[in-house]
Amino acid sequence: MEKNDLTPEESFDVINKAIANFKINYKESSKVFLLWGWMLTLASVSNFILLKFVHSMEPWVLKGYVILGSWALFILIGFIIMYFMVRRMNRTKKVHSHIDKFIDYLWWVTAPSFIIATFICIKLGIAPPPLMLLVAGIATTTTGLVIKFRPLTIGGMSFFVFSVAATFVTNEYMALVVSAALICGYLIPGYLLKTAKE
Amino acid sequence: MYNDLDPLLHSQLRLAIISMLVASEKVEFTHIQSETKAAAGNISIQIKKLEEAGYIKVLKSYKNNYPNTMLSITDKGVKAFESYVNSLKKYLNPKK
Repeated sequence: MEKNDLTPEESFDVINKAIANFKINYKESSKVFLLWGWMLTLASVSNFILLKFVHSMEPWVLKGYVILGSWALFILIGFIIMYFMVRRMNRTKKVHSHIDKFIDYLWWVTAPSFIIATFICIKLGIAPPPLMLLVAGIATTTTGLVIKFRPLTIGGMSFFVFSVAATFVTNEYMALVVSAALICGYLIPGYLLKTAKE
Repeated sequence: MYNDLDPLLHSQLRLAIISMLVASEKVEFTHIQSETKAAAGNISIQIKKLEEAGYIKVLKSYKNNYPNTMLSITDKGVKAFESYVNSLKKYLNPKK
């Protein structure tokens, strides 16, 4: 491949081919959505079990700490697994696209937003799920739009619906709404992305 | 014939390399090799020319205990590419 007397048409052809062949495969990203989908679904189901069935654990403050602790535990496990997962993914990655960088930044900003939202909710004495689902919806929908993967965009938008729905149920059933949101927003799009052709 | 076109970019292989780099943040040398199907030695020569002109940055490191070369485009490279494309457009549509 070497030619130095290109016509403008040939030059455009070289540029077009180089960019058109540059398809980025986002199937690897499905692993991250599946990881967090499972971790957070398990956390919210355990949250529901604690709220619904552990009546003996009183006072409420103690129960609250146990619930917060169970979420923190699942999130910590998620981060540990993700650290090794991303390290392995980077070893095989040959192209770092601008979109990859944008998505990385988006989620690195979203992660502390979850923590800040939780803090605000605890401080104001309101249940965190509606706000958490809203934040998850913004980041997931944006990711779906950017990588042009419709199931993820729709999954992300379902977080908005579940965010509003969560305000209509009691605290214990809110955990189930969160589980449903995670299945629709992370797990289903995650498995679809994993099996997608490109 | 096309005197006002940047001679550094007006070469099939260098133009292909710079086009790939415009479309991404960082690209591995081996990926460029597999996409362009050019010889490693030839790619290295073209990369050196682009690097000397300040159009690209070459980052050498180790990956899985093997030497790894990553390439990225500089701001100067982006500007050169844009002006090259604009010049091409003038050739194709001289009235505009």
